[in-house]
Amino acid sequence: MADDVDVEGASDTAHLYEGKKVRSSAPSRRKAAGRIKSSTEIPKDAIPEIHVPSFIESFFGGPVVSKDKFLPPDRMVSSLQAGSAASLIVLSFLTFMITPVSGTAWFAASNALGLGVAAGLFHLMLIAIGLIGGVYGTFQRDRRAMLISYVALILVTIRFAGSTVEFRLDVVPESEIIQKFILILYAVFLVMYIELSSGVIRFSMLDTSIRMNEVYVMGVNKITRKYHMSLAIAPAIAGAVALMTLLINLIIPAIVGIFDDVSALRLKESVELTSVYGVALGTVIVFVVIAAMFAVNLPLRVQQMRERNA
Amino acid sequence: MAWSRKSAMFASLAIALYLLGLVLRNQQLVTVAVVLLSFLTWAAFMSNHADVSSSGRRVEDADSDEGIQLNSIVALRKISSARIFEDGEIEVTLRLQNRSNLSKIIEVRDRVPEVMRIKKGANYVLMELGPQRETTISYTIETPLRGFYTIGPVCVRVQDAFGLFHNEREINLYDDFLVFPKMEDIKDALIKSRVPKIFTGAVNIRNPGEGSNFYNLREYIPGDPMKKVNWAATARSGGKMMVNEYERDAVSDIILIIDSRGVSETGPVSRNSLVYSTRAAASLSQYFLSRRDSVGLVVYSDEIVSVDRDTGKKQLYVLLTKLAGAMAKGNTPLKVVTNRIMPHINRGSPIIILSPLEDDPTIVDAVRDLRARNFDVTVLSPSSLEFEFDARRLDRTGYEVLKTERDILMSELRGLGAFVMDWEPDMMLNTALAGARGF
Repeated sequence: MADDVDVEGASDTAHLYEGKKVRSSAPSRRKAAGRIKSSTEIPKDAIPEIHVPSFIESFFGGPVVSKDKFLPPDRMVSSLQAGSAASLIVLSFLTFMITPVSGTAWFAASNALGLGVAAGLFHLMLIAIGLIGGVYGTFQRDRRAMLISYVALILVTIRFAGSTVEFRLDVVPESEIIQKFILILYAVFLVMYIELSSGVIRFSMLDTSIRMNEVYVMGVNKITRKYHMSLAIAPAIAGAVALMTLLINLIIPAIVGIFDDVSALRLKESVELTSVYGVALGTVIVFVVIAAMFAVNLPLRVQQMRERNA
Repeated sequence: MAWSRKSAMFASLAIALYLLGLVLRNQQLVTVAVVLLSFLTWAAFMSNHADVSSSGRRVEDADSDEGIQLNSIVALRKISSARIFEDGEIEVTLRLQNRSNLSKIIEVRDRVPEVMRIKKGANYVLMELGPQRETTISYTIETPLRGFYTIGPVCVRVQDAFGLFHNEREINLYDDFLVFPKMEDIKDALIKSRVPKIFTGAVNIRNPGEGSNFYNLREYIPGDPMKKVNWAATARSGGKMMVNEYERDAVSDIILIIDSRGVSETGPVSRNSLVYSTRAAASLSQYFLSRRDSVGLVVYSDEIVSVDRDTGKKQLYVLLTKLAGAMAKGNTPLKVVTNRIMPHINRGSPIIILSPLEDDPTIVDAVRDLRARNFDVTVLSPSSLEFEFDARRLDRTGYEVLKTERDILMSELRGLGAFVMDWEPDMMLNTALAGARGF
């Protein structure tokens, strides 16, 4: 078999072969393999495995629910699981308490179909899915079940859109402040549940990495203590800020009342302040203050001050 | 400050509920949204996003550059060796100092090259570092493949307790190290020059001269030292004084030619022709230099890199460095290489070619030219067919056909007087060399 020389980069070396017919050595193995094999398909194991992210994955910057495998839970993870389950039970009860079926889309749909009981069953089923899925997801550390639980509970939350404050249980007092307080408690437990359940996954990953010697943790107790403290403080702060925002219809008249009692009374009775726009105004006021703190880089200044004083 | 996916979802949910609440004039939705927003804001406020100002220096620079000391987290690294052989181990010690007056919870990841394996310890540490305190992280990495590598940078991350926000900085602290190809102990390469140089060496070359092995007896010539007189032979020869002659020991010029073209990396990363060639070249270099030969090296890929012949330990280091840096690329024909080097090497010098003998139609011509000029040519050919067949990238029929073609090419080269060995992956270098020389 004699082929003409066809060498890559031949321009540099062409002078060596001018006028010559160079005898070929072994032909290109790939070329030969392509001709000889019964099938010209590329062997499957020769193609590297590439995971092309779907649109959803690209949108979220990765898989929505990753399939990590964990080692059996350690004490920290077990306590988080217990905490998550407890907060979920409280949340489910609060959800049941503050969300009557009336005013929901499924209530309207079932009434239209003449199946009034179905709406109640569906409503309870949503809460049950949220509870059972959440407990299962927390203890099995299954993110899909957790996600289903979040969606079910948030779907029930949307029921709020159906009416003003209205509770399923009659034992709840009619006082505005208590109602708001229960509402805030509900929101705080929702946040706590989401945080604790995601904490179960986060600390399981960390624990697995530690036990697989992928990561080394120095001062575990201090780190977990900080997390536990944050778990106690952050929701309390969030609840307090929210309460302050909700009670803006009482706070603003109280401040104005220092200077003028009549204006304070007018403000207290004004529809704008007691409605949702009052809450919106409160939110704006509170978050303008927070934005100003960030604008002047208050965290850095506080940090610097703490460092100087330490 | 970077947002995590969790914080982004929290924020999206909060904003959606808030807007929905305003549109529907529903206070409850707004309340839930406000709690979520407050939670996020508090986490952001507490994430200490400004305190990861950090810098990096090598341990030996620690006394200089005082300006960097102003930063709060400082990393210093020390590695046990900057030069190591394949399958060796490097101990890395990373010192982290917190120069601020507050304690910090930080994640530290010292970035190691992907091919390296962490054998002991961990390069990823989560720690609470107290005020004005320092700590040391130690880990051992295994170096499975030759090359030039860098450890670093050191990534330091601070995040809030809930993992909602984080701030990450890279400390530009780098340490370079070199991994030499693994060497095999060679007992006898069976290779020596037909044209010895005038300097004595460790190889006897079947010529009388200064050496240690007995060659033959001859009559005494005035000027011969008396210690060479063989008195027993003199007594037997009837009065003629006989002296011992010894084989001359000499040094040779050995030229190693490494095929580092793109095709030489066919096969798995750790088992391919180039890996085997560089290991063989390193072993041969050590062996020849230990017997005081001069060794030169030519590595051809998209360019021709050569190291002039020389002797001694320094030359071994130079050769190993070049071998460590050999990259598979380009497609320079062997004939171009031989044409370029032939005028510069002594006729009769042994030339060892390490090549998979693929995709180069000029191999036969190049070897013919070398043989025509009386060079002692040895071709060690790591069979990448075997690498690919073992990795199941080649089917049986294709393998058999290509193997036959390879055998034909090798027979042709043997016909030209070259010593050729089809070096299969599991064969020791010693065995391959002995096979090449017909033993």
